[in-house]
Amino acid sequence: MPKSRTLRQPLIEIAGVSKIFATSDGQPTWALQNVSLDVQQGEMVCVLGPSGCGKTTLLNLIAGFIDVTDGVIRLQGEAIKKPGPDRGVVFQEYALFAWLTARHNIEFGMRMRGVPKAECRARADEYLKLIGLERAADRYPHELSGGMRQRIAVARALVNEPQVLLMDEPFAAVDAMTRATLQSELLRIWQQLKLAVFFITHNVEEAIYLSQRTILMSPHPGQVQEIIPIDLPYPRERGSAEFGVLYARITAALHGQNPNVVDEETKQ
Amino acid sequence: MTGEKRPPAGGLDTAALERAFVAELRRKKRTGLVSLISLNALGIVLFLLAWEILPRIVPNINILMFPPPSSVVHALVPLLVSGELASNIFISLQRAMAGFALATVLGIAAGLLTARIRVLQHITDPVLQGFRSVPVIALVPLSLIWFGIGEGSKIALITWGAFFPVWIATFIGVRDVHAVYLRSAASLGAGPVQTMIYVILPSALPLILAGLRQALAIALIVLVAAEIAGARGGIAYMVAISHQLFRVDIMFIGLAVLGGLGFLLDRIFVATSRKLFPWYNQDSGG
Repeated sequence: MPKSRTLRQPLIEIAGVSKIFATSDGQPTWALQNVSLDVQQGEMVCVLGPSGCGKTTLLNLIAGFIDVTDGVIRLQGEAIKKPGPDRGVVFQEYALFAWLTARHNIEFGMRMRGVPKAECRARADEYLKLIGLERAADRYPHELSGGMRQRIAVARALVNEPQVLLMDEPFAAVDAMTRATLQSELLRIWQQLKLAVFFITHNVEEAIYLSQRTILMSPHPGQVQEIIPIDLPYPRERGSAEFGVLYARITAALHGQNPNVVDEETKQ
Repeated sequence: MTGEKRPPAGGLDTAALERAFVAELRRKKRTGLVSLISLNALGIVLFLLAWEILPRIVPNINILMFPPPSSVVHALVPLLVSGELASNIFISLQRAMAGFALATVLGIAAGLLTARIRVLQHITDPVLQGFRSVPVIALVPLSLIWFGIGEGSKIALITWGAFFPVWIATFIGVRDVHAVYLRSAASLGAGPVQTMIYVILPSALPLILAGLRQALAIALIVLVAAEIAGARGGIAYMVAISHQLFRVDIMFIGLAVLGGLGFLLDRIFVATSRKLFPWYNQDSGG
């Protein structure tokens, strides 16, 4: 990539990406078909769609966990080949190392890259403070609630100062009240650190509450159906009329795909 | 959360009720523990009493063949005084521990390699599975021919027997490492060797520990077989020699020592695991 493009260059360029998987009986399935999409520096993007629309596949491709079948994904102009600390990943659950305390989970990435011990400790403290969990520093994951674990997982990814935070339905497994808290905390951290967030969800309300743009995906094959800008100012009011209009519009668009699938998804 | 700072709800003295509740809870727990321990002790006493009395009252029982506890204790004293018992325990422990340590190193290494390297797994699988199916006791005569009755043959046998549970457990633990752990490690910047040491091994540890615990029990079984087949010392050797001398009382001492050793080693193993790996809730410890 010519360096002259860097000025207006998107952070992530997804260009004509397809991914084929084999089903259990050996048939090829298109998880993604010719998907193109850009994510800007510091942008908050939600990817919304029913199961089978390829949203998690897309995240795994950006993270470098799997390879594209066709097309290319670039991070700041460089084609993505493998996972790396420039892209922090937060999984749905059970991703914290059970044998490490909260603090050591956060320090893990720095330790692996040979950061001196004192600096690891100082920066872990800084990020524990950011997520408001200083008191839980020396506890093991099994001693923490689901919401606390996901906060630690966010801190573990953020401490490496990634360009983008990739989040795969990170709040799907916590209860509704905790989820609302985690969502506002994520917005606060995003505004404070000014990094890009690529957030996968199947929850319409979550997408409208969080994102500047919601990418609507449809299944079989996985494709981008529509990109919906969410122009409401932060913090957003879930009970407001504008929120309701967007909710109705996105729900209608999802229903247009395949009513049966969507009914199942929106129940949650 | 305890409600002590809440005002009395409708004239209810919440603090007093809670204090009474907690006191009752503690009392129940304490009496439960006391009755548990005394029932355990009662069981032991009843068993010893029956053993002491039965050989004397049941007709046609040779008391030399079924020595009661009093005779066993009588036989124990000279063994203790001469240091014979202690030295036999030391010899046996040394053998068991040497074999167990070797099996631990070899079993974990083999498990790691076969679980992570597909080619190696498929090459070694038929042979290792075949060897595993041969009961280790059946190898005792062969080992005597190859290695004689020296220490080498005993340690080799114990290592052989203890190796397989460690290998299988490590293999399964490493093979089934949660994919999310591996992806987390990769996206946090860990290389392959770092991932192996800091992620794969610890995540497989619960299974490895279970395998090691089983290996420890097997090590003692093989130890006994090896010492009975031919040795110049050790607890099972003491039992075998007493057999030839019709000293059933000393045989009983040997059996009790072996039982005690097995129990103690298992307890030490569990306690050490808990100490070293506090994150691992080994609730199968009982």
